[in-house]
Amino acid sequence: MKIVPLLVLLLGFSMLLGAQETAQLPKDETGKYLYYEVVNTAIPQDTLQIRVQQFIQKQKLKPVVLASGKQLVASGKLVIRKGAAMLSHPSGEIAYRFYFETNGGKYRFWLSDFEFFPYQKDRYGNFVPSTTVGIPLETDPKKWNVEQWEDYRLQTSKYATAFAARLKDHLLHKTVPAPQPPEKKVITKTW
Amino acid sequence: MKKNIAALSLLLLTTATVAVAQEKASPLEISGSVDTYYKYDFNKSGNIKTYFAGEQNSVSLGMIDLALKKTTGKASFVGELSFGPRGQYESIPDAAGGYDPTANGFNIQNLYVNYAFTDKFSMTAGYMGTFIGYEVISPAANFNYSTSYLFGSGPFQNAGIKGTYAFSDKVSLMVGLFNEWNQYRASRGVSSLGGQLMISPVKGWTAYINGLHGLDGYGNYSTVIDLTTAYQITDKVKIGLNAADLSAGDDKFGYSGVALYPQYAFTPSVALGLRAEYFNYKGISGGPSASVTSFTLSGNIKSGGLTFIPEVRFDNDKDFSQGFVKSDGTTLNKSAAQFSLAAVYSF
Repeated sequence: MKIVPLLVLLLGFSMLLGAQETAQLPKDETGKYLYYEVVNTAIPQDTLQIRVQQFIQKQKLKPVVLASGKQLVASGKLVIRKGAAMLSHPSGEIAYRFYFETNGGKYRFWLSDFEFFPYQKDRYGNFVPSTTVGIPLETDPKKWNVEQWEDYRLQTSKYATAFAARLKDHLLHKTVPAPQPPEKKVITKTW
Repeated sequence: MKKNIAALSLLLLTTATVAVAQEKASPLEISGSVDTYYKYDFNKSGNIKTYFAGEQNSVSLGMIDLALKKTTGKASFVGELSFGPRGQYESIPDAAGGYDPTANGFNIQNLYVNYAFTDKFSMTAGYMGTFIGYEVISPAANFNYSTSYLFGSGPFQNAGIKGTYAFSDKVSLMVGLFNEWNQYRASRGVSSLGGQLMISPVKGWTAYINGLHGLDGYGNYSTVIDLTTAYQITDKVKIGLNAADLSAGDDKFGYSGVALYPQYAFTPSVALGLRAEYFNYKGISGGPSASVTSFTLSGNIKSGGLTFIPEVRFDNDKDFSQGFVKSDGTTLNKSAAQFSLAAVYSF
Protein backbone atom coordinates (compact mmCIF):
# COMPACT_ATOMS: atom_id res chain seq x y z
CA MET A 1 0.00 0.00 0.00
CA LYS A 2 2.94 2.30 0.65
CA ILE A 3 3.72 2.16 -3.01
CA VAL A 4 0.53 4.07 -3.99
CA PRO A 5 1.54 7.48 -2.57
CA LEU A 6 4.96 7.00 -4.14
CA LEU A 7 3.39 6.32 -7.53
CA VAL A 8 1.15 9.39 -7.16
CA LEU A 9 4.19 11.48 -6.30
CA LEU A 10 6.13 10.12 -9.27
CA LEU A 11 3.18 10.77 -11.58
CA GLY A 12 2.85 14.33 -10.30
CA PHE A 13 6.58 14.89 -10.74
CA SER A 14 6.59 13.51 -14.27
CA MET A 15 3.57 15.68 -15.17
CA LEU A 16 5.43 18.71 -13.82
CA LEU A 17 8.47 17.81 -15.88
CA GLY A 18 6.29 17.32 -18.94
CA ALA A 19 4.67 20.71 -18.40
CA GLN A 20 8.07 22.34 -18.13
CA GLU A 21 9.31 20.64 -21.29
CA THR A 22 6.35 21.88 -23.33
CA ALA A 23 6.32 25.51 -22.17
CA GLN A 24 5.54 27.92 -24.98
CA LEU A 25 8.33 29.70 -26.82
CA PRO A 26 9.08 33.31 -25.87
CA LYS A 27 8.61 36.16 -28.37
CA ASP A 28 11.27 38.57 -29.60
CA GLU A 29 11.01 42.37 -29.68
CA THR A 30 9.05 42.20 -32.96
CA GLY A 31 6.46 39.82 -31.51
CA LYS A 32 7.72 36.67 -33.27
CA TYR A 33 8.13 33.36 -31.51
CA LEU A 34 11.71 32.21 -31.26
CA TYR A 35 14.03 29.78 -29.51
CA TYR A 36 17.23 31.71 -28.69
CA GLU A 37 20.42 30.60 -26.99
CA VAL A 38 23.97 31.98 -26.51
CA VAL A 39 26.63 29.38 -25.71
CA ASN A 40 30.16 30.03 -24.45
CA THR A 41 32.67 27.66 -26.00
CA ALA A 42 36.37 27.00 -26.37
CA ILE A 43 35.92 25.48 -29.83
CA PRO A 44 37.60 27.55 -32.57
CA GLN A 45 35.27 29.49 -34.88
CA ASP A 46 36.32 27.71 -38.08
CA THR A 47 35.68 24.32 -36.43
CA LEU A 48 32.26 25.50 -35.33
CA GLN A 49 31.47 26.58 -38.87
CA ILE A 50 32.45 23.17 -40.27
CA ARG A 51 30.50 21.31 -37.60
CA VAL A 52 27.35 23.38 -38.04
CA GLN A 53 27.49 22.79 -41.80
CA GLN A 54 27.68 19.06 -41.09
CA PHE A 55 24.70 19.39 -38.73
CA ILE A 56 22.65 21.19 -41.40
CA GLN A 57 23.42 18.41 -43.85
CA LYS A 58 22.68 15.66 -41.33
CA GLN A 59 19.34 17.22 -40.35
CA LYS A 60 18.44 17.71 -44.04
CA LEU A 61 17.95 21.45 -43.62
CA LYS A 62 18.09 23.64 -46.71
CA PRO A 63 20.71 26.41 -46.66
CA VAL A 64 19.30 29.89 -47.28
CA VAL A 65 21.38 32.71 -48.70
CA LEU A 66 20.55 36.08 -47.17
CA ALA A 67 21.50 39.45 -48.64
CA SER A 68 23.44 40.45 -45.51
CA GLY A 69 25.49 37.23 -45.50
CA LYS A 70 26.54 37.71 -41.87
CA GLN A 71 24.65 34.74 -40.49
CA LEU A 72 24.44 31.13 -41.49
CA VAL A 73 20.79 30.46 -42.23
CA ALA A 74 18.92 27.27 -43.12
CA SER A 75 15.26 26.30 -43.36
CA GLY A 76 13.61 23.19 -42.01
CA LYS A 77 10.23 21.77 -41.13
CA LEU A 78 8.47 19.95 -38.35
CA VAL A 79 5.70 17.57 -39.39
CA ILE A 80 2.64 17.68 -37.14
CA ARG A 81 0.90 14.35 -36.69
CA LYS A 82 -2.71 13.77 -35.72
CA GLY A 83 -4.02 10.75 -33.80
CA ALA A 84 -2.52 8.14 -31.51
CA ALA A 85 1.18 7.35 -31.90
CA MET A 86 0.77 4.04 -33.73
CA LEU A 87 -2.25 5.08 -35.78
CA SER A 88 -1.65 8.64 -36.85
CA HIS A 89 -1.15 10.61 -40.03
CA PRO A 90 0.46 13.96 -40.85
CA SER A 91 -1.95 16.89 -40.57
CA GLY A 92 0.41 19.74 -41.34
CA GLU A 93 3.92 21.04 -41.10
CA ILE A 94 5.60 23.96 -39.38
CA ALA A 95 8.36 25.50 -41.44
CA TYR A 96 11.07 27.47 -39.65
CA ARG A 97 14.43 29.14 -40.13
CA PHE A 98 17.59 28.32 -38.22
CA TYR A 99 20.11 31.14 -37.68
CA PHE A 100 23.70 30.62 -36.47
CA GLU A 101 26.47 33.11 -35.64
CA THR A 102 29.89 32.91 -33.98
CA ASN A 103 31.65 35.70 -32.11
CA GLY A 104 34.92 35.19 -30.23
CA GLY A 105 34.57 32.51 -27.58
CA LYS A 106 30.86 32.06 -28.01
CA TYR A 107 28.18 31.27 -30.55
CA ARG A 108 24.48 31.95 -30.72
CA PHE A 109 21.64 30.38 -32.62
CA TRP A 110 17.91 30.79 -32.86
CA LEU A 111 14.89 29.23 -34.53
CA SER A 112 12.24 31.64 -35.79
CA ASP A 113 9.89 32.50 -38.69
CA PHE A 114 7.56 29.64 -37.78
CA GLU A 115 4.75 29.13 -40.31
CA PHE A 116 2.05 26.46 -40.36
CA PHE A 117 1.07 24.73 -43.61
CA PRO A 118 -2.04 22.52 -43.35
CA TYR A 119 -1.90 19.20 -45.19
CA GLN A 120 -4.42 17.78 -47.61
CA LYS A 121 -4.47 14.31 -49.10
CA ASP A 122 -3.50 14.28 -52.76
CA ARG A 123 -4.75 11.97 -55.52
CA TYR A 124 -2.17 9.33 -54.61
CA GLY A 125 -3.22 9.09 -50.95
CA ASN A 126 -0.25 11.10 -49.65
CA PHE A 127 -0.52 14.08 -47.32
CA VAL A 128 0.93 17.23 -48.89
CA PRO A 129 0.73 20.97 -48.08
CA SER A 130 -2.61 22.37 -49.27
CA THR A 131 -1.15 25.85 -49.76
CA THR A 132 2.18 27.48 -50.44
CA VAL A 133 1.42 30.45 -48.19
CA GLY A 134 1.94 29.53 -44.55
CA ILE A 135 0.11 30.90 -41.52
CA PRO A 136 2.54 32.56 -39.07
CA LEU A 137 2.49 30.80 -35.70
CA GLU A 138 1.88 34.18 -34.07
CA THR A 139 -1.53 34.44 -35.79
CA ASP A 140 -4.42 34.63 -33.35
CA PRO A 141 -6.32 31.37 -33.59
CA LYS A 142 -9.97 31.48 -34.47
CA LYS A 143 -12.37 30.32 -31.82
CA TRP A 144 -12.95 26.93 -33.40
CA ASN A 145 -9.31 25.83 -33.38
CA VAL A 146 -7.79 27.48 -30.28
CA GLU A 147 -6.83 24.16 -28.71
CA GLN A 148 -5.38 22.84 -31.96
CA TRP A 149 -3.34 26.01 -32.49
CA GLU A 150 -2.03 25.92 -28.92
CA ASP A 151 -0.97 22.33 -29.53
CA TYR A 152 0.96 23.40 -32.64
CA ARG A 153 2.78 26.02 -30.56
CA LEU A 154 3.60 23.51 -27.83
CA GLN A 155 4.83 20.94 -30.33
CA THR A 156 7.02 23.64 -31.90
CA SER A 157 8.47 24.52 -28.52
CA LYS A 158 9.20 20.88 -27.75
CA TYR A 159 10.80 20.40 -31.15
CA ALA A 160 12.95 23.54 -30.79
CA THR A 161 14.22 22.41 -27.39
CA ALA A 162 15.18 18.99 -28.77
CA PHE A 163 16.74 20.62 -31.86
CA ALA A 164 18.89 22.85 -29.64
CA ALA A 165 20.07 19.88 -27.59
CA ARG A 166 21.02 17.97 -30.74
CA LEU A 167 22.87 20.99 -32.15
CA LYS A 168 24.87 21.68 -28.99
CA ASP A 169 25.76 18.02 -28.66
CA HIS A 170 26.86 17.87 -32.28
CA LEU A 171 29.00 21.02 -32.01
CA LEU A 172 30.62 19.70 -28.87
CA HIS A 173 31.43 16.16 -29.92
CA LYS A 174 31.61 15.97 -33.67
CA THR A 175 35.12 15.31 -34.84
CA VAL A 176 36.21 17.35 -37.80
CA PRO A 177 38.19 15.47 -40.41
CA ALA A 178 41.77 16.71 -40.55
CA PRO A 179 42.65 18.49 -43.79
CA GLN A 180 44.29 16.09 -46.21
CA PRO A 181 47.94 16.90 -47.08
CA PRO A 182 48.50 17.62 -50.77
CA GLU A 183 49.15 14.48 -52.77
CA LYS A 184 52.83 13.89 -53.43
CA LYS A 185 53.70 13.22 -57.05
CA VAL A 186 56.69 11.26 -58.20
CA ILE A 187 58.50 12.99 -61.04
CA THR A 188 60.03 10.40 -63.32
CA LYS A 189 61.11 12.67 -66.18
CA THR A 190 64.15 13.91 -64.31
CA TRP A 191 66.31 11.53 -62.31
CA MET B 1 9.47 -4.36 -75.46
CA LYS B 2 7.11 -2.47 -73.15
CA LYS B 3 6.35 -5.74 -71.34
CA ASN B 4 10.07 -6.42 -70.83
CA ILE B 5 10.70 -2.93 -69.46
CA ALA B 6 7.71 -3.22 -67.14
CA ALA B 7 8.86 -6.64 -65.86
CA LEU B 8 12.42 -5.42 -65.32
CA SER B 9 11.21 -2.33 -63.48
CA LEU B 10 8.95 -4.42 -61.27
CA LEU B 11 11.84 -6.78 -60.50
CA LEU B 12 14.04 -3.82 -59.52
CA LEU B 13 11.31 -2.47 -57.31
CA THR B 14 10.79 -5.86 -55.63
CA THR B 15 14.51 -6.40 -55.01
CA ALA B 16 14.94 -2.94 -53.54
CA THR B 17 11.87 -3.35 -51.32
CA VAL B 18 13.20 -6.63 -49.87
CA ALA B 19 16.59 -5.03 -49.25
CA VAL B 20 15.15 -2.46 -46.86
CA ALA B 21 12.87 -4.85 -45.00
CA GLN B 22 15.01 -4.50 -41.90
CA GLU B 23 14.97 -0.69 -41.89
CA LYS B 24 13.03 1.42 -39.42
CA ALA B 25 9.29 1.66 -40.10
CA SER B 26 7.02 4.67 -39.68
CA PRO B 27 3.65 4.33 -37.91
CA LEU B 28 0.81 2.91 -39.97
CA GLU B 29 -1.15 5.88 -41.30
CA ILE B 30 -4.92 5.58 -41.34
CA SER B 31 -6.90 8.31 -43.03
CA GLY B 32 -10.01 8.83 -45.08
CA SER B 33 -13.22 10.75 -45.53
CA VAL B 34 -16.98 10.46 -45.34
CA ASP B 35 -19.41 12.60 -47.35
CA THR B 36 -23.12 13.14 -47.72
CA TYR B 37 -25.17 15.78 -49.56
CA TYR B 38 -28.53 17.27 -50.44
CA LYS B 39 -29.28 18.25 -54.02
CA TYR B 40 -32.20 20.22 -55.51
CA ASP B 41 -32.61 20.77 -59.26
CA PHE B 42 -34.60 23.91 -60.17
CA ASN B 43 -36.35 22.04 -63.00
CA LYS B 44 -37.29 19.32 -60.49
CA SER B 45 -35.38 16.65 -62.38
CA GLY B 46 -31.97 15.06 -61.90
CA ASN B 47 -30.67 17.07 -64.86
CA ILE B 48 -27.01 17.67 -64.13
CA LYS B 49 -25.54 14.27 -63.52
CA THR B 50 -22.09 15.69 -62.60
CA TYR B 51 -20.98 12.05 -62.49
CA PHE B 52 -21.88 12.00 -58.83
CA ALA B 53 -25.01 13.41 -57.21
CA GLY B 54 -27.46 12.82 -60.04
CA GLU B 55 -30.64 12.75 -57.93
CA GLN B 56 -33.35 15.33 -57.33
CA ASN B 57 -34.53 16.62 -53.95
CA SER B 58 -32.66 13.94 -52.08
CA VAL B 59 -30.39 13.61 -49.10
CA SER B 60 -27.89 11.13 -50.51
CA LEU B 61 -24.68 9.39 -49.64
CA GLY B 62 -21.30 9.95 -51.21
CA MET B 63 -18.81 7.43 -49.94
CA ILE B 64 -16.57 6.38 -47.12
CA ASP B 65 -12.95 6.39 -48.15
CA LEU B 66 -10.40 4.42 -46.12
CA ALA B 67 -6.67 4.65 -46.74
CA LEU B 68 -3.66 2.91 -45.24
CA LYS B 69 -0.08 3.99 -45.75
CA LYS B 70 3.15 2.71 -44.31
CA THR B 71 6.75 3.63 -44.95
CA THR B 72 9.68 1.37 -44.14
CA GLY B 73 13.00 2.97 -44.96
CA LYS B 74 12.76 3.98 -48.59
CA ALA B 75 9.81 1.71 -49.36
CA SER B 76 6.16 2.54 -48.87
CA PHE B 77 2.72 1.36 -49.84
CA VAL B 78 -0.70 3.00 -50.13
CA GLY B 79 -3.96 1.07 -50.11
CA GLU B 80 -7.16 3.12 -50.44
CA LEU B 81 -10.66 1.74 -50.87
CA SER B 82 -14.01 3.48 -51.12
CA PHE B 83 -17.49 2.20 -50.37
CA GLY B 84 -20.80 3.92 -51.09
CA PRO B 85 -22.42 5.26 -54.27
CA ARG B 86 -19.67 7.76 -55.20
CA GLY B 87 -16.85 5.30 -54.69
CA GLN B 88 -18.77 2.23 -55.70
CA TYR B 89 -21.29 1.92 -58.51
CA GLU B 90 -20.82 5.54 -59.68
CA SER B 91 -17.10 4.91 -60.17
CA ILE B 92 -15.39 2.47 -62.47
CA PRO B 93 -14.33 -0.27 -62.28
CA ASP B 94 -16.44 -2.20 -59.79
CA ALA B 95 -15.19 -5.12 -57.70
CA ALA B 96 -15.39 -7.46 -60.69
CA GLY B 97 -13.19 -5.15 -62.73
CA GLY B 98 -15.96 -3.92 -65.03
CA TYR B 99 -18.80 -1.43 -64.78
CA ASP B 100 -22.08 -2.85 -63.57
CA PRO B 101 -24.28 -0.32 -61.70
CA THR B 102 -26.16 -3.16 -60.07
CA ALA B 103 -23.03 -4.74 -58.62
CA ASN B 104 -22.57 -3.87 -54.98
CA GLY B 105 -18.82 -3.84 -54.84
CA PHE B 106 -16.20 -1.27 -53.96
CA ASN B 107 -13.73 0.92 -55.77
CA ILE B 108 -9.97 0.90 -55.36
CA GLN B 109 -8.68 4.48 -55.34
CA ASN B 110 -5.02 3.62 -54.86
CA LEU B 111 -3.17 0.36 -54.38
CA TYR B 112 0.54 0.66 -55.05
CA VAL B 113 4.04 0.25 -53.72
CA ASN B 114 6.74 2.85 -54.01
CA TYR B 115 10.50 2.79 -53.60
CA ALA B 116 12.63 5.93 -53.36
CA PHE B 117 16.00 4.89 -54.76
CA THR B 118 17.41 8.32 -53.95
CA ASP B 119 16.05 11.68 -52.79
CA LYS B 120 15.52 12.48 -56.46
CA PHE B 121 14.39 9.22 -58.06
CA SER B 122 11.51 6.94 -57.11
CA MET B 123 9.49 4.21 -58.77
CA THR B 124 5.87 3.26 -58.21
CA ALA B 125 3.94 0.18 -59.32
CA GLY B 126 0.28 -0.68 -58.89
CA TYR B 127 -3.06 1.09 -59.34
CA MET B 128 -2.83 4.84 -58.89
CA GLY B 129 -5.03 7.91 -59.07
CA THR B 130 -4.57 9.29 -62.55
CA PHE B 131 -1.96 11.97 -63.18
CA ILE B 132 -4.30 13.54 -65.76
CA GLY B 133 -6.64 16.39 -64.83
CA TYR B 134 -7.48 18.78 -61.99
CA GLU B 135 -10.27 17.05 -60.08
CA VAL B 136 -10.36 13.62 -58.44
CA ILE B 137 -12.97 11.13 -57.22
CA SER B 138 -12.54 11.85 -53.50
CA PRO B 139 -14.55 14.96 -52.53
CA ALA B 140 -12.02 15.70 -49.78
CA ALA B 141 -9.44 16.68 -52.40
CA ASN B 142 -11.77 18.86 -54.55
CA PHE B 143 -12.95 22.41 -53.86
CA ASN B 144 -16.27 22.01 -55.68
CA TYR B 145 -18.52 19.12 -54.72
CA SER B 146 -19.96 18.44 -58.16
CA THR B 147 -17.36 17.60 -60.76
CA SER B 148 -16.44 18.99 -64.16
CA TYR B 149 -17.11 17.53 -67.60
CA LEU B 150 -13.34 17.28 -68.03
CA PHE B 151 -13.13 15.12 -64.90
CA GLY B 152 -16.02 12.95 -66.03
CA SER B 153 -14.32 12.17 -69.32
CA GLY B 154 -11.55 10.39 -67.46
CA PRO B 155 -9.20 8.76 -66.94
CA PHE B 156 -9.75 8.20 -63.20
CA GLN B 157 -6.96 5.78 -62.39
CA ASN B 158 -4.07 4.12 -64.16
CA ALA B 159 -2.55 0.74 -63.36
CA GLY B 160 1.08 0.51 -64.31
CA ILE B 161 4.63 1.27 -63.34
CA LYS B 162 6.22 4.70 -63.37
CA GLY B 163 9.47 6.38 -62.49
CA THR B 164 9.76 9.96 -61.25
CA TYR B 165 12.95 12.00 -61.28
CA ALA B 166 13.14 15.37 -59.51
CA PHE B 167 15.74 17.56 -61.17
CA SER B 168 15.11 20.15 -58.45
CA ASP B 169 12.26 21.45 -56.31
CA LYS B 170 11.09 23.27 -59.42
CA VAL B 171 11.27 20.59 -62.13
CA SER B 172 10.45 16.89 -62.17
CA LEU B 173 9.63 14.33 -64.82
CA MET B 174 7.50 11.18 -64.61
CA VAL B 175 7.42 8.50 -67.28
CA GLY B 176 5.36 5.34 -67.02
CA LEU B 177 3.89 2.31 -68.76
CA PHE B 178 0.23 1.64 -68.08
CA ASN B 179 -2.70 -0.67 -68.79
CA GLU B 180 -5.78 0.80 -70.42
CA TRP B 181 -7.59 3.35 -68.24
CA ASN B 182 -9.49 2.42 -65.10
CA GLN B 183 -8.70 -1.30 -65.20
CA TYR B 184 -7.19 -3.42 -62.46
CA ARG B 185 -5.64 -5.71 -65.06
CA ALA B 186 -4.82 -5.27 -68.74
CA SER B 187 -7.11 -6.81 -71.33
CA ARG B 188 -4.73 -6.16 -74.22
CA GLY B 189 -1.37 -5.93 -72.45
CA VAL B 190 0.53 -2.95 -71.17
CA SER B 191 -0.73 -0.62 -73.86
CA SER B 192 -0.12 2.97 -72.81
CA LEU B 193 2.83 5.28 -72.44
CA GLY B 194 2.40 8.32 -70.23
CA GLY B 195 4.45 11.19 -68.93
CA GLN B 196 4.20 14.23 -66.73
CA LEU B 197 6.48 17.26 -66.62
CA MET B 198 6.11 19.33 -63.46
CA ILE B 199 7.46 22.85 -63.38
CA SER B 200 7.21 25.43 -60.65
CA PRO B 201 8.42 28.73 -62.13
CA VAL B 202 7.77 30.82 -59.00
CA LYS B 203 6.80 30.08 -55.41
CA GLY B 204 3.16 29.07 -55.27
CA TRP B 205 2.80 28.31 -58.98
CA THR B 206 2.91 24.69 -60.12
CA ALA B 207 2.12 23.43 -63.60
CA TYR B 208 1.76 19.83 -64.78
CA ILE B 209 1.99 19.07 -68.48
CA ASN B 210 0.63 15.57 -68.99
CA GLY B 211 0.44 13.21 -71.93
CA LEU B 212 -0.96 9.70 -72.28
CA HIS B 213 -1.06 7.61 -75.42
CA GLY B 214 -2.57 4.15 -75.62
CA LEU B 215 -5.73 2.20 -75.03
CA ASP B 216 -8.34 4.40 -73.36
CA GLY B 217 -11.43 3.62 -71.30
CA TYR B 218 -13.60 3.58 -74.43
CA GLY B 219 -11.72 0.75 -76.18
CA ASN B 220 -9.85 3.01 -78.62
CA TYR B 221 -6.24 3.94 -78.97
CA SER B 222 -6.17 7.62 -78.07
CA THR B 223 -3.88 10.46 -77.15
CA VAL B 224 -4.73 12.87 -74.37
CA ILE B 225 -2.76 16.04 -73.70
CA ASP B 226 -3.52 17.84 -70.46
CA LEU B 227 -2.40 20.97 -68.64
CA THR B 228 -3.19 21.24 -64.94
CA THR B 229 -1.91 24.26 -63.09
CA ALA B 230 -2.58 26.22 -59.91
CA TYR B 231 -1.15 29.48 -58.59
CA GLN B 232 -1.50 30.58 -54.97
CA ILE B 233 -1.09 34.29 -55.65
CA THR B 234 -1.58 35.46 -52.06
CA ASP B 235 -2.78 33.79 -48.86
CA LYS B 236 -6.32 34.69 -49.98
CA VAL B 237 -6.28 34.35 -53.76
CA LYS B 238 -5.69 31.15 -55.72
CA ILE B 239 -6.35 30.41 -59.35
CA GLY B 240 -6.36 27.05 -61.10
CA LEU B 241 -6.64 26.00 -64.72
CA ASN B 242 -7.27 22.71 -66.48
CA ALA B 243 -7.17 22.30 -70.25
CA ALA B 244 -7.25 19.00 -72.09
CA ASP B 245 -7.66 17.50 -75.53
CA LEU B 246 -8.31 13.87 -76.39
CA SER B 247 -8.19 12.46 -79.88
CA ALA B 248 -9.24 8.87 -80.35
CA GLY B 249 -9.56 6.37 -83.16
CA ASP B 250 -9.11 6.92 -86.89
CA ASP B 251 -11.89 9.49 -86.95
CA LYS B 252 -10.15 11.55 -84.30
CA PHE B 253 -13.26 11.90 -82.23
CA GLY B 254 -12.82 12.78 -78.59
CA TYR B 255 -13.15 15.92 -76.52
CA SER B 256 -11.49 19.16 -75.64
CA GLY B 257 -12.19 21.53 -72.80
CA VAL B 258 -10.96 24.16 -70.43
CA ALA B 259 -11.92 24.99 -66.86
CA LEU B 260 -10.86 27.96 -64.73
CA TYR B 261 -10.91 27.83 -60.91
CA PRO B 262 -10.56 31.23 -59.19
CA GLN B 263 -10.84 31.03 -55.38
CA TYR B 264 -10.86 33.57 -52.58
CA ALA B 265 -10.28 32.70 -48.89
CA PHE B 266 -11.95 35.18 -46.51
CA THR B 267 -10.34 33.39 -43.54
CA PRO B 268 -8.39 30.12 -43.26
CA SER B 269 -11.75 28.40 -42.69
CA VAL B 270 -14.08 30.20 -45.11
CA ALA B 271 -13.50 30.37 -48.88
CA LEU B 272 -15.49 30.94 -52.05
CA GLY B 273 -14.60 29.50 -55.43
CA LEU B 274 -15.92 29.54 -58.99
CA ARG B 275 -15.49 26.91 -61.67
CA ALA B 276 -16.11 28.15 -65.21
CA GLU B 277 -15.92 25.41 -67.82
CA TYR B 278 -16.25 25.03 -71.56
CA PHE B 279 -16.38 21.47 -72.87
CA ASN B 280 -16.67 20.22 -76.44
CA TYR B 281 -17.50 16.72 -77.68
CA LYS B 282 -15.78 16.28 -81.02
CA GLY B 283 -18.04 14.99 -83.80
CA ILE B 284 -17.42 11.46 -85.02
CA SER B 285 -16.25 11.15 -88.65
CA GLY B 286 -16.42 14.90 -89.13
CA GLY B 287 -19.94 15.10 -87.78
CA PRO B 288 -21.21 18.01 -85.71
CA SER B 289 -19.65 18.56 -82.34
CA ALA B 290 -21.56 19.46 -79.20
CA SER B 291 -20.49 21.86 -76.50
CA VAL B 292 -21.48 22.62 -72.92
CA THR B 293 -20.70 25.58 -70.68
CA SER B 294 -20.95 25.34 -66.94
CA PHE B 295 -20.59 27.75 -64.01
CA THR B 296 -20.32 26.42 -60.45
CA LEU B 297 -20.06 28.64 -57.38
CA SER B 298 -19.03 26.82 -54.22
CA GLY B 299 -18.29 27.77 -50.66
CA ASN B 300 -15.95 25.89 -48.31
CA ILE B 301 -16.72 26.35 -44.62
CA LYS B 302 -14.38 24.34 -42.42
CA SER B 303 -14.71 23.38 -38.80
CA GLY B 304 -12.17 20.87 -37.58
CA GLY B 305 -12.27 17.93 -39.96
CA LEU B 306 -15.67 18.90 -41.37
CA THR B 307 -16.16 20.95 -44.54
CA PHE B 308 -19.57 22.25 -45.60
CA ILE B 309 -19.87 22.89 -49.34
CA PRO B 310 -22.92 24.94 -50.37
CA GLU B 311 -23.00 25.10 -54.16
CA VAL B 312 -25.04 26.49 -57.04
CA ARG B 313 -24.46 25.36 -60.61
CA PHE B 314 -25.74 26.54 -64.00
CA ASP B 315 -25.11 24.47 -67.14
CA ASN B 316 -25.89 25.50 -70.71
CA ASP B 317 -26.25 22.69 -73.22
CA LYS B 318 -26.89 24.45 -76.51
CA ASP B 319 -26.66 21.26 -78.57
CA PHE B 320 -28.94 19.16 -76.34
CA SER B 321 -26.20 16.58 -75.73
CA GLN B 322 -26.97 16.21 -72.03
CA GLY B 323 -30.71 15.55 -72.19
CA PHE B 324 -31.72 18.34 -69.77
CA VAL B 325 -35.51 18.55 -69.38
CA LYS B 326 -37.97 21.16 -68.17
CA SER B 327 -40.03 20.76 -65.00
CA ASP B 328 -42.63 18.67 -66.91
CA GLY B 329 -39.95 15.98 -67.07
CA THR B 330 -40.18 15.42 -70.84
CA THR B 331 -39.59 18.65 -72.80
CA LEU B 332 -35.92 19.10 -73.64
CA ASN B 333 -34.27 22.19 -72.25
CA LYS B 334 -30.99 23.90 -73.10
CA SER B 335 -30.11 24.79 -69.53
CA ALA B 336 -30.21 23.34 -66.05
CA ALA B 337 -29.53 24.72 -62.60
CA GLN B 338 -29.14 23.11 -59.22
CA PHE B 339 -28.34 23.78 -55.58
CA SER B 340 -26.52 21.33 -53.35
CA LEU B 341 -25.19 21.29 -49.82
CA ALA B 342 -22.54 18.71 -49.04
CA ALA B 343 -20.80 17.79 -45.81
CA VAL B 344 -17.38 16.16 -46.12
CA TYR B 345 -15.52 14.91 -43.06
CA SER B 346 -11.82 14.10 -43.41
CA PHE B 347 -9.81 12.20 -40.85
